Amino acid sequence: MTTAPTNAASAEVTPIDRQARGPLLLLLVLGVLWLVPSGIFALLASIQLHSPQFLTDCEWLTHGRLEALQETAFLYGWAANVGLAIALWVLARLGGYPLRALNWTVAGAIFWNLGLVGGLVGIATGDMTTFSFFQLPRYVQPLMVFAYAAMAISGVLAWSGRRTDSTFAAHWYAVAALFLFPWMFLAAEVVLIWLPVRGTVQAIAAGWYAQGVWTLWLAPLALAGCYYIIPKVSGRVLSSYESAPLGFWCLLSVGAWTGGRHLIGGPVPAWIATMAVVTSALMLFHYLVVALNFRGVASAPGTGATFIRFGVSAYLLVGLLEVLTSFRAVALHTQFTFFATAQTQLGYYGAISMMFFGAVYYLVPRLAGRAWSSAGLVAGHRGLVMLGVVGSVAGLALAGFTQGAGLLQATVSQGSIFEGMRLPLLLNTCAQATLLVANLLLVVNLIRTMATCCTTVDATAGLFRPSMNLEAPAS
Amino acid sequence: MKNGPLFLLGLLVTIALSFLGVVIGSHAQLGNLVPFYDDAEGQAFPQRSSGIAARGQLVYGDLGCASCHTQQVRRPDYGSDQARGWGDRQSVARDYVHQSRPQLGASRLGPDLKNFGARKPVVASELDIFNFLFSGSARHPAYPFLFETRKVSGEVSAGSFLPAGKTPQSGFELVATERGRSLAAYLLSLTSGYDYPESKPVVLSKKVEGTK
Amino acid sequence: MSFSSPSDPRVDQAAVTDESVISAHEKLLGAQPDEKGHYRLAPLNVLFFLSGLIMFGGTYLGRYAGYFDARVYNENVLHGGGSGEAPAAIDPLVLGKKLFNNAACNVCHQPTGLGLPGAIPPLVNSDWVTGSDEKLIRILLHGLQGPIKVAGMDYNSAMPAFGRVAGSGFNWSDDKIAAVLTYIRQEWGNQASGVSVEKVTAIHAKEGDHKPWTVVELEKLP
Repeated sequence: MTTAPTNAASAEVTPIDRQARGPLLLLLVLGVLWLVPSGIFALLASIQLHSPQFLTDCEWLTHGRLEALQETAFLYGWAANVGLAIALWVLARLGGYPLRALNWTVAGAIFWNLGLVGGLVGIATGDMTTFSFFQLPRYVQPLMVFAYAAMAISGVLAWSGRRTDSTFAAHWYAVAALFLFPWMFLAAEVVLIWLPVRGTVQAIAAGWYAQGVWTLWLAPLALAGCYYIIPKVSGRVLSSYESAPLGFWCLLSVGAWTGGRHLIGGPVPAWIATMAVVTSALMLFHYLVVALNFRGVASAPGTGATFIRFGVSAYLLVGLLEVLTSFRAVALHTQFTFFATAQTQLGYYGAISMMFFGAVYYLVPRLAGRAWSSAGLVAGHRGLVMLGVVGSVAGLALAGFTQGAGLLQATVSQGSIFEGMRLPLLLNTCAQATLLVANLLLVVNLIRTMATCCTTVDATAGLFRPSMNLEAPAS
Repeated sequence: MKNGPLFLLGLLVTIALSFLGVVIGSHAQLGNLVPFYDDAEGQAFPQRSSGIAARGQLVYGDLGCASCHTQQVRRPDYGSDQARGWGDRQSVARDYVHQSRPQLGASRLGPDLKNFGARKPVVASELDIFNFLFSGSARHPAYPFLFETRKVSGEVSAGSFLPAGKTPQSGFELVATERGRSLAAYLLSLTSGYDYPESKPVVLSKKVEGTK
Repeated sequence: MSFSSPSDPRVDQAAVTDESVISAHEKLLGAQPDEKGHYRLAPLNVLFFLSGLIMFGGTYLGRYAGYFDARVYNENVLHGGGSGEAPAAIDPLVLGKKLFNNAACNVCHQPTGLGLPGAIPPLVNSDWVTGSDEKLIRILLHGLQGPIKVAGMDYNSAMPAFGRVAGSGFNWSDDKIAAVLTYIRQEWGNQASGVSVEKVTAIHAKEGDHKPWTVVELEKLP
């Protein structure tokens, strides 16, 4: 329930946005642009899955390197830039003051993206570290840590210097993501690259980092955006918000233990996989809290809410699948198959990216001071990206089922498993092509929106309706 | 969660707990694993691989072979690994102590390679590997950049080969580059070697001594 | 042109202000200073669910974590045997043959057990081997010095000590001693009983660290 605002400072575009326009739009544009190379890499890699001789002459694009390129560009290009922009903006808006230290943010963004380009060239020429989600070559890694820290300074300052004493869930998640990533990255660098641990402990540490990318970095960034946007657009208080602190601490403290589920039956002691089962089950609590809190998005209006609805549903499904596939009886059928890839795709594209898309659609008009340039492109992107996500997840999951069933029986040769997977993998390729086209539409839309943004007079006058005050429901 | 420093400290504690538990805990248990000395055999296992095989593992890593091949055999009653001839026993942590960067892999688009050098009934020869890597197959990419065609100087090199279906160019030979040779040496060095005590199911009782 | 239509997909309208979002949710957490410190716990059913998960987790860890032991790779292992199969017993003949031929015994006694005439006594057709095991066990444990008559020939070499005794260069455990002795007593046509680990242990405990035996001392034994 809402009441009329008591002061006139309820305009949606405030000096906070105007001042943050440059750096945050830079991050958003860079992030969205990275979707294109990452999409191209993904498309090429998906073709190689069913036609291994594709591009086989080119050493830079051999399948292993292409997969490393794709995941690095996606995570450290698209997700990092956009997630950071969302976190900074949320902290600024909730903090009540314009962002400080934005020069650091711009410098950090430039060095981060330059480092990433250098890192991708390094991966293509054979310097990848071979650790999943941590493939950036060792000579680029320290630069990335410092660049990230430079970008994050602004956010942490916005939080510590906030206007009100109280905090909101979006605060916690945004600060957690900004604060924890450098520690996580440095810790992984130490135990994997500088002073490598022995033998299979490397696999355990790499699994910890890969799980941390989801649990300690990207999921908090996505949830920060959702926690901010959902009450703003729905105009209602989040339901069961009292559980939110517990859900937050559950994600952070328990989540990073679940990486052990990839090492079921592997050359590690049994307790690692068992801890993963137990902690995946405990994570159900976090997913329950998220489901309860975000019930209101089901009826919220707007483009951002549409994407967030999809993203939250995918997020909850990912949590459920994590628990199911961490049990050894189920892992027997899904381990080492494309089903695990389908889960990754569902999580990083279906959940995190869709929540990011929702935040991007919400943010850009406020930063740029004008609406998106084309409703058609918005609808096109929305439809195609949802189609693409569903298609790729379905294709990979079907391929995974075939593969799992085939692998279990020793009499089924790998050749016949491969033939059985051909069709679902073709579906995956079509879906990847769809995703690439969808993201190209977004790029075009964004550039057209930006093209008129900073040159003409600020046209925000009729853009936003005045907002009301949110009242807590009577207890 | 208003108190700034306390909140940040709390965040640090949560990440420290998971890092300490997962990484440092495993390191405490497995970080000091030493090769197992067998009195009867009079030597320690696993044995170190040759230098060229160790370099071959780096080639394996930078080509990203681990994106489609695993190098971890699961125990016989869990999956069909043994029935497929990929290994008679489970891979244990001790198998990897001499490897600088174990390539465990997480996907089995292709077969497991942990015991590639010990396949029954017959192990592939180096020439088979060169042929396979050069031409690939309908289900496996080719790696022609691991080979080079060079002018024959003097006599034809011992390592030169002719892939099926290719006509020889007079005066030129096809050989594997250093990378190709080390990769083949690495693949042939992949054997399981020895049955460690912990690779059989451990019956825990007070009397069983440790496996140090 | 007014973009403030609520259903325009090109711009999302915010319904409420930021400050009110923060304050309204803070009220829900019950921590506003004007509240009387009435802190509301999360809903009971949510907390029940969390406790249920923790209980499941604890039980599962107790059964399947292998007691957090670094040697346990199979999660089904239980104390006292459970569903783990017993490790296969090692055949003493196999182990004994391996030990014999591992450059320990075969260099002197030869893989054929025939020894070197005049220098190293044979193990084939020898009463010392197929006769009483009391003497044989001691010979292998502590070594033998001085003249000895084997199969009608005289030998005068030094047999090193193989057991875990002072001065031993081999330090073989009792079960290795038993395995090798079982092997030589049943190989090359010898047909004597095997040697048990318990007997070796008993003799080892009784004699402790003994100097290498002489034939005179050994003949005093049963």
